[in-house]
Amino acid sequence: MKKKINISDKTLRLIEQRQIKPIPRWEFIVKNWSIWLGFLTSLLLLMLGVAVSWFGLIDNIITPNLWVVVSIIFLTMSFLLFERTKKSYRFEKWQVGLVIVFVGLLMGGVLFRFGVASRIDRGMESRFSFYRQMVPMRMIVWNNPESGYLSGEIVSIYSASSFVIKDFNGKLWNINGNQPIVRGRVKMVVGEEIKLIGTLVSGDTFDAEEIRPWDGMGQNMMKENRY
Amino acid sequence: MIDEKCQNLDDNELVALSIQNSQYFYCLMKRYEDKLKGYVHRLTYLSNEDVEDIVEDSFVNAYLHLNDCDCDLKFSSWMYRIVHNSAINFIKKQKQSLRIEADESDDELVDWLVADTNIEKETVSKHFDEYIKSILDKLRPEYKEVIALKFFEEKDYKEISDILQKPMGTVATLLSRAKIQFKQIYEKENKY
Repeated sequence: MKKKINISDKTLRLIEQRQIKPIPRWEFIVKNWSIWLGFLTSLLLLMLGVAVSWFGLIDNIITPNLWVVVSIIFLTMSFLLFERTKKSYRFEKWQVGLVIVFVGLLMGGVLFRFGVASRIDRGMESRFSFYRQMVPMRMIVWNNPESGYLSGEIVSIYSASSFVIKDFNGKLWNINGNQPIVRGRVKMVVGEEIKLIGTLVSGDTFDAEEIRPWDGMGQNMMKENRY
Repeated sequence: MIDEKCQNLDDNELVALSIQNSQYFYCLMKRYEDKLKGYVHRLTYLSNEDVEDIVEDSFVNAYLHLNDCDCDLKFSSWMYRIVHNSAINFIKKQKQSLRIEADESDDELVDWLVADTNIEKETVSKHFDEYIKSILDKLRPEYKEVIALKFFEEKDYKEISDILQKPMGTVATLLSRAKIQFKQIYEKENKY
């Protein structure tokens, strides 16, 4: 008669002979926390991506394409990382996806409302020279002095904070400012094309708070629109 | 002896003690060995040797991961999950399909098969080996998994959810779809 194999005895012998030990608890703690940390980081980056996308779509100042792509990447990562957490199986996949999308859109909207998106956009522009080429400003925005955006070519200079520009419709503007912030490589010389952020004072007078170079795709657009 | 000490300890207490002393893990293995062997056998219909290999590998794997044992769940659900995954991986490697070994004595299964259908209970019992078994074999693998846990292992929806790592709603849906598929195949095959 064939002797019945006792798996428990066999396994215990194997464990003892090979001196198998349980994997330490800290390894699992590190693994589980890493997944949660990755998930929360992705979720935060999703919210920021959505915030700047809202900024592009609603304020119409930048082209939001890159930020929409960034949002989709972090949406996918958030979903995949949540699915790797221990208890994720208790929720339907579509529910998880829907909640992440909802949280991303909602919190992105809140961050946008509090001005975080425009700060991110400006921060990226000042830190990374290639950023504005990837996320170009919308041309129309820079011809909107009522909203605080103006662009054109310097035609005469009285001082560093007092000069005249000609916008791309050919209108002359007197620019004043109390030590406006100069971002990027702006040469304050006649012929230089610039963008201004500030306040419309009267029909042809504009107070500049910030001066930026007209570069990237916007430059070509401006020239095209001029004629 | 440790065997005697184990009798008064529940699974979670044994898990905690097993981390320090593998002898306590022996008690856990003894407690579940037959149940797990039976489960793998009924789910896969593999040879005794293969079934024992799967259970042994699962025990070693469980021992290695004791510190990751999810104590919110029942230990049995956690152990069944490990064995289930090992069995599925084994089947995939062997390029075989899941088979569920059922017979007419599985009353609950028979009752479930005839409920809400126009199939007679006597017909099912009488022709179980003849064609009911083959219809069960034709069901999709995910349906077979749920049927095996529900009717052979008598697990509730929560336990099945924890073992298969699927939401409870999905478990209920799978069971209901299994019934629909069973009925469709039955009606198709009994047309002629």
